[in-house]
Amino acid sequence: MIRLTGVELRRLVARRLVMLGVAAVLGVTVLMLAAAWWNSRPLSAEDQQQAKAQFETAHADWVKNHEKYDKECRDSYASQPDPKPPVEEMCNYTEPTLDQWGKPQTVFTEVMPELLQGSSYLLAFAAFLIGASFVGAEFSSGSIGNWLTFEPRRMRVYASKLAAVAIGMVPVVVVTLAILLAGTYLIVAELGVTAGTTGKVWGNLLETSGRAMVVVAVAGAVGGVLALLLRHTAAAIGVIMGYVVLVEAVFGSILAQVQPWLVRLNFDAWLKHGTTYYVQNCKSTPEGYYNCESIEKSLSFEHGAWYLGIGTVLLLALGAFVFQRRDVT
Amino acid sequence: MTDLAISTRGLRKTYRTRRGKRVVAVQGLDLDVPVGGVHGFLGPNGSGKTTSIRMLLGLIRADAGAMALFGRPVPEHLPEVVSRVGAIVESPKFFPAFTGRKNLELLADAIGAPRRRVGEVLEETSLGERGKDRFKTYSLGMKQRLAIAATLLKEPDLLIFDEPTNGLDPAGIREIRETMRSLGEQGRTVLVSSHILAEVEQVADTVSIIGHGRLLASGPVSEVIGGTGKTTVKLVIDDREAATSVLTAAGLTVRAEGNYLVVDGAPDPADITRRLAQRELYVAELVPVRADLESVFLELTADEGLAAGDGTIGGQR
Ligand SMILES: Nc1ncnc2c1ncn2[C@@H]1O[C@H](COP(=O)(O)OP(=O)(O)OP(=O)(O)O)[C@@H](O)[C@H]1O
Ligand SMILES: [Mg+2]
Repeated sequence: MIRLTGVELRRLVARRLVMLGVAAVLGVTVLMLAAAWWNSRPLSAEDQQQAKAQFETAHADWVKNHEKYDKECRDSYASQPDPKPPVEEMCNYTEPTLDQWGKPQTVFTEVMPELLQGSSYLLAFAAFLIGASFVGAEFSSGSIGNWLTFEPRRMRVYASKLAAVAIGMVPVVVVTLAILLAGTYLIVAELGVTAGTTGKVWGNLLETSGRAMVVVAVAGAVGGVLALLLRHTAAAIGVIMGYVVLVEAVFGSILAQVQPWLVRLNFDAWLKHGTTYYVQNCKSTPEGYYNCESIEKSLSFEHGAWYLGIGTVLLLALGAFVFQRRDVT
Repeated sequence: MTDLAISTRGLRKTYRTRRGKRVVAVQGLDLDVPVGGVHGFLGPNGSGKTTSIRMLLGLIRADAGAMALFGRPVPEHLPEVVSRVGAIVESPKFFPAFTGRKNLELLADAIGAPRRRVGEVLEETSLGERGKDRFKTYSLGMKQRLAIAATLLKEPDLLIFDEPTNGLDPAGIREIRETMRSLGEQGRTVLVSSHILAEVEQVADTVSIIGHGRLLASGPVSEVIGGTGKTTVKLVIDDREAATSVLTAAGLTVRAEGNYLVVDGAPDPADITRRLAQRELYVAELVPVRADLESVFLELTADEGLAAGDGTIGGQR
């Protein structure tokens, strides 16, 4: 079994399509870093000059008038309509600072989780394609029949192929996310704010990366199983695309309540250790108005973990059952 | 039991097509292949040769019946004997984008064969330098040789070749034939399936003939093919009418075929020339007609009193 997995890994690495896929993932990662750099770039000297001028005007105004404004505010507080914030909050004229003008600075702890999430989607998709083509190629070329005359124990053959895809994705995830984390940190350290990036923040980012690694490895294996069930790479990709568009995107947006049972939200819940979504809550008021409001709901990490876990196990079992019994011609 | 490399009893397989139609591919096949030498597995197209081979190799499930390789029941014990069996089923199938060598290396690694075997089998099948090229650039003959090389990785005791000369030119056919001969002479067992009798006749020690998924005849080549002990000859003679009456009177069957008279049932050709010469009828040309698969097949099915197209041919052993 270990030997077979080793052979399958060697085949995985020797496939040109796999190498192209990995290169594409790294290419997109570099683009993401370029976008992060672009977004955290400081303003041009001219724009900075303008921001500074506006700040100075505002500051001069404050120096001259803040005591007057304060007094006016407190005097009129009593006549303001309820409800109103407490007086200290309402009549608080603090000294303006320069960073309130111009472009807000990029904060590492804010942008990094989003980048990680985007990169995980990309990696999972790439893993699915790699897994599907790795297994699909054997069925469409017919070489699986030849392979089985060398190793007739089908469960070993099945397990070794999926294990190879899953294991093969691990270094891809590690390298990609390491580049993304380190690259973004260096860019933001240079151009933005990295303050507050405590050990705990790093710990959370690493945990998210670890969960991304697991889900990407699973996506590779799922690609393999689908290609095995459908006997074709293209069929597996077509089915998943159709599912994503019709069920996840169209159906999910028409009927927001079903989102907790769709893959995407559970993927987020797993990756981000819990996530939120919105549903419209509409009702008729006693006055006869029909009102809708958006309510935020949350989906727990456990929900995502169980959903993805059970789905994966069922799919793997179905693949094993079909492959064990299938006539290979 | 263990002196048989392959043995099947009552093997059956029915395919279900997409439209739900059932095709009986193999119906109660009893096949015995002795250890050592080349065994021909003959049958017309669609008679169930490939299907039988696939069942033996565990690629498809049998509906009923028992099979054994070297006395071990399969598919249950296939993992134990598979290292002794090399097989090519239909056309050779490898990873098209990998080189011949890479394909063999992966297979060698999968069975734990030493890497040097790869070089050795490439040499043995005279693929040597072409091993560096991608499989998809190979000619049919080279693909066939690579497939043989792959089977040799295991140093198998039994080789199963399903129509190995399909699509090859005469030189390629001869090469494969010599390979099979030499494998047989090394004491290995070679099962070669074909629908061309002449091809198998030249290499096989024993044959089995199947039709409609059943065994029709089995045994040493000379017995099965020359099984009737009678010869058929074609001859050219001036006075065809006189010749016909002479030979018919001697109890032989005679019919006209173009310029020739075809004579069936003579114990040997000399008997015909002697009878005609006694009446001063001289043969201008005489060609012994070698039995072909079709005629042997027709004869075998006729013996059963059944037409060849009838799906209920009885077995004869
Ligand atoms: N995958 C399949 N699905 C349905 N029917 C099949 C399948 N494979 C073979 N058959 C049918 O089973 C019968 C036996 O086919 P098989 O390929 O075993 O014959 P064969 O003796 O190998 O013929 P050939 O000499 O043409 O290779 C044929 O009638 C064929 O149409
Ligand atoms: Mg065939």
